[in-house]
Amino acid sequence: MGTVHAKSLDPLPMHGRDLGVNPDDLMEPPEQEQESKQEVLENKDVVVQHVNIQGLGRTKEDLLGYEISDVFHAKNLIDVMKRAHVARLRLLRLGVFKEVEVLIDTSEGKDALPNGLDITFEVTEIKRLTGSYNTMVGNNEGSMVLGLKLPNVFGRAEKVTFQFSYGTKETSYGLSFFKPQPGYFERNFTLNLYKVTGQFPWSSLKETDRGLSAELNFPLGVTSHTLKWEGVWRELGCLARSASFAVREESGHSLKSALSHSMSIDLRNSAIFPNRGALLRINQELAGYTGGDASFLKEDFELQLNRKLFWDSVLSASLWGGMLYPLRGQPSCIADRFYLGGPTSVRGFGMYSIGPQSEGDYLGGEAYWAGGVHLYTPLPFRPGKGGFGDLFRTHFFLNAGNLCNLNYGEGPQAHLQRLAECIRWSYGAGIVLRLGNIARLELNYCVPMGVQSGDRICDGVQFGAGIRFL
Amino acid sequence: MDDQILLSDHASSLSVQAYLRMCGLPIQVVCRYNAEYMSPSGKIPFIHVGNQVVSELGPVVQFTKAKGHSLSDSLDDVQRAEMKAYMELVYNMLLTSELFVQWCDDATAGEISRPRYSSPYSWPLGNILAYQKQWEVRRKMNAIGWGGKTLEQVYEDVNQCCQALSQRLGTQPYFFNKQATELDALVFGHLFTILTTRLTSTELAERVKSYSNLLSFCRRIEQTYFEDKKLMKD
Repeated sequence: MGTVHAKSLDPLPMHGRDLGVNPDDLMEPPEQEQESKQEVLENKDVVVQHVNIQGLGRTKEDLLGYEISDVFHAKNLIDVMKRAHVARLRLLRLGVFKEVEVLIDTSEGKDALPNGLDITFEVTEIKRLTGSYNTMVGNNEGSMVLGLKLPNVFGRAEKVTFQFSYGTKETSYGLSFFKPQPGYFERNFTLNLYKVTGQFPWSSLKETDRGLSAELNFPLGVTSHTLKWEGVWRELGCLARSASFAVREESGHSLKSALSHSMSIDLRNSAIFPNRGALLRINQELAGYTGGDASFLKEDFELQLNRKLFWDSVLSASLWGGMLYPLRGQPSCIADRFYLGGPTSVRGFGMYSIGPQSEGDYLGGEAYWAGGVHLYTPLPFRPGKGGFGDLFRTHFFLNAGNLCNLNYGEGPQAHLQRLAECIRWSYGAGIVLRLGNIARLELNYCVPMGVQSGDRICDGVQFGAGIRFL
Repeated sequence: MDDQILLSDHASSLSVQAYLRMCGLPIQVVCRYNAEYMSPSGKIPFIHVGNQVVSELGPVVQFTKAKGHSLSDSLDDVQRAEMKAYMELVYNMLLTSELFVQWCDDATAGEISRPRYSSPYSWPLGNILAYQKQWEVRRKMNAIGWGGKTLEQVYEDVNQCCQALSQRLGTQPYFFNKQATELDALVFGHLFTILTTRLTSTELAERVKSYSNLLSFCRRIEQTYFEDKKLMKD
């Protein structure tokens, strides 16, 4: 939080760069009464005459005009303080300033009105280059991660980030350039260049992706949209000599060039333990019409509804689903298909271990749905209430889902029938811990049901960590 | 993939096919554009039997031997050593020459090898993979000392190799008289492919053609073991 200083007795004039924005059309005609400058401004009508920003180095002024222009509309002192606070937060969210302080003072100078105010934002710019260095250990691999960030590169809140990870098994890197639209920070453009590698033991598959993507984000009313083009060179290989032939057949190189659109409406009051609100996310991806080898249309959606019940407990229901439709007669690739199961999706089953498989390697499926109903309650007897205890919840859950391949020659009735037969489901209870505002840990006792031959289950205690849970 | 496979890979593949036909085992040949990446050793051909995958002629011979099929059982130790030596000669001379002509000769690489290698992929992935393969082969050539050779020198090496093979074969039907062995399969695979593959110049094929007993050897094996199948001709 910052402080807003309102000084009414300071005789020294403020030095700063005048923004040159002329508030003439907002000025009221000057009052006839001669009021002393020593008068304390209470909830009197005021006029904001000048807004200055002090401490600018490489940041360009035209970027900031939009963020602070609202302050000129203030009509009384309380309003000025509120709007100045909002402007301060808007300046901070640009990511170019380390600290912003607001000073409100009476106007000085020959065109000063008796009830005129000067607002000054004193800013400290972020350093040109910040770096970080971490070591990570996990999954039989150790790696060094080097991160470099150049905030506000050209003065208009552009950001360049570079991350490089050098590990015992793989190296990966990512370079990204972010540019917001001046005046509309929520509309922004990102360009990414990356190489990532992943190992998927449930499919005995390893994947190396080298890609380039360009992304445009913009809000439309209450929804927020993302339009993205991505070109990826994918290299698939077997993780072990014992990989099944079906996975071996997928080895090799392919190029995916895809356009995708994603829409999301998030009306929840929190991302991790929401009490109320709904989330809807719809995503579609079309590959093959801008070049590349892969050719498909992929749709998936996520819906979550939350409602507060008696005694601080929350009922939450979520539904996920998706479909992959291969185009131009080409079969779908294992890297594009959907996977189901695990502590973050249908609990009680092994990680991504539901659905079509060959010799123990899970191949994924072209259509899926998954649903969950949860009842979250605070910990029994509420230990550590108001502090540490608030990070925990107990939950009782019921999860269900199905993953299969569809025969596209049949009609929608047949598709629905296929998705409705052989439903896997599970129930159980556990403890959930919130990590920051992004991730959560879960420790559950699960009872899987509806297990089909080939699925791998994890009945009993299951631990999960992640960002997105069913 | 008729329009993707290259000379050296086709030769190796034909050798394994010939060997399996000589053993009397039924086979089915399937072409996949990613066969090189499917193979556990990174080289084609490979065989898929039950749920086992075995690649390259040497391991295939071992594998069939373990299952009870072998062509070289009747050879004594001296002959077996000789067979291994000649097989090494083919690998070191013929196969390496094929790779050299394909990838180190700029004309062949640009007109034939790179376009064929990149044909199943879309732009720019095909070009990237083709150049990557070319650099890899050229690095290997430098490592074994062939980097500085000219095309003429390589043709001369092929000539000498054929001369050695021709002398060993003489007037016999197979290298070890009446019995076809894996050496026959290997030599057939390479020579037949060289004779029937169209390259930028016919010099490589000419060197082989100058040895008439090798020509008749190839024809004989084709007629004996491949009569039911029209061999792929590029």
